[in-house]
Amino acid sequence: MNPREEVATRVQELAYELHVAQAMTRNVLTIHPRTQISTVSQILRKRRISGLPVIDKGKLCGLISIEDVIKCLVNNELNRRVSSLMTRSVVTVYSDEPVVKAIQIFERFGYGRLPVLDRNDHSVVGILTKGDIIRALLKKMDVDYREEEILRYRASHIFNDVTADEVHLIFEFSVRGGNFDRAGEASSQLRTNLLRLGIHPEIVRRIAISTYEAEMNLVIYTHGGRIVADLQKDLIQIRVLDQGPGIPDIEKAMEAGYSTAPDWVRELGFGAGMGLPNIRKHSDWMQLTSEMGRYTHLEFEVKVP
Amino acid sequence: MKLEQIRDILEAEIHVEPENPNFDILNGCGSDLMSDVLSLVKPNTILLTGLATPQVIYTAEMASIQVICFVRGKHPTQRMIDMARERGIILLSTNLFLFDSCGKLYSAGLGQPTRLISAL
Amino acid sequence: MIMKSIVSSLNLTLYTQNLSLDRSIKGCYSGDLLSDVLARACIGCLWITIQMHPNIIPVAVMKEFPGILIVNGRIPEPEVISKAENERVVLLGTPLSAYEISGRLWELGFQP
Repeated sequence: MNPREEVATRVQELAYELHVAQAMTRNVLTIHPRTQISTVSQILRKRRISGLPVIDKGKLCGLISIEDVIKCLVNNELNRRVSSLMTRSVVTVYSDEPVVKAIQIFERFGYGRLPVLDRNDHSVVGILTKGDIIRALLKKMDVDYREEEILRYRASHIFNDVTADEVHLIFEFSVRGGNFDRAGEASSQLRTNLLRLGIHPEIVRRIAISTYEAEMNLVIYTHGGRIVADLQKDLIQIRVLDQGPGIPDIEKAMEAGYSTAPDWVRELGFGAGMGLPNIRKHSDWMQLTSEMGRYTHLEFEVKVP
Repeated sequence: MKLEQIRDILEAEIHVEPENPNFDILNGCGSDLMSDVLSLVKPNTILLTGLATPQVIYTAEMASIQVICFVRGKHPTQRMIDMARERGIILLSTNLFLFDSCGKLYSAGLGQPTRLISAL
Repeated sequence: MIMKSIVSSLNLTLYTQNLSLDRSIKGCYSGDLLSDVLARACIGCLWITIQMHPNIIPVAVMKEFPGILIVNGRIPEPEVISKAENERVVLLGTPLSAYEISGRLWELGFQP
């Protein structure tokens, strides 16, 4: 995803997460239906707002906007009462609804502002404009951005703050051969660990895919082995080690589509011969050594910029 | 394309719901073999597959795939549903075959870059 | 629909030689699990798959598939091609994914 798409997706997510209450303006100024438009005009101008809810006996009965005021100005009718001009069927939102509901209403009806009601007593608790929504989204995104920066800072400092000639953080997993039930678990755990350490998701993705292919190879072809993940300052090295049976022809094994997998493995979705080529594709360096009857050692690296 | 639209086109059942249903799926991948899926790069893809094993969930996790739809009437086990939920992966299933599922989604515009996809 | 017209409309690669393309395609089946193909595919289908190993030929013979379409630009081994020629199963190829080629075949008219 490019940065712009990421932002667009995040905005969409936030529109569901944020509630109207978090975006609306409180301390709403309201007006009585018998007020004259001239007064409304002064209030709107002085407070720099674009509309007012009209309240009678504590209940919302209409909405008067700057457009209504302009209409009166044009016809020189500034002593008309609010009640004769106001919009009576007002679309509203509840304060506990997600902001996306308000966005949909804005898009559908083209209104400029929505009064916000409390769900229990239907009293007016705020006003929501498009501008309010944008401000709230931006504010939330700024908060998120800062939080992410802190997380990255914390993780990168694991290696920057500690002083030594070399730093290694090592995770080791054992994998049982032939156990398809748990096949994938080690890679999944490694992936979670790397994300928790704040390693960039794209780097984690490449490591996860490569380690998973290697883990599946251990399960399919060997009696079991170990996966060792060695995290250093600017490099992550993965070593996959087993004690046999070994790979007879390494060159052939690296060919895309070449597979020695038995049929039952194909029925489980593997054995297409893409495992080793996939590892090579996703890593920065790779080495495979094997001795028949004794061992296979696979090593691959991904650089961390 | 939104999840809801995909569900309607495939007449699918949802086993794991999304937290936020308003994201866009841009591509489709139809495969029973997982290595094939792992070398897929495109983001925002729905995986359509007839393979119903835990490895499908692991594969989707590694490849950052957010939505899986099982075809040919296959259903995920409870373990797979729990795994998917933990990882934030959405699960659907349909009785349609893989060919029909791909065909219907493709002709509705999913994965066709030159066609307009609704409401991006 | 006749295989010949599908090959030309979709620009498919032909791997097998000397086999007639004037065969009728009754439908399409997409999938890579042999057990599913055997259990569910209809007779006389065009089989869309990423599988390339020799076992696909006996499966195709059993299900009377006039052809197998191998996707993602993968090229079958000569051993598989000659097996296919012997059994009179046409082997085709496309650089497109299974998803895309299914979509295009669907739009050509393979809708139940």
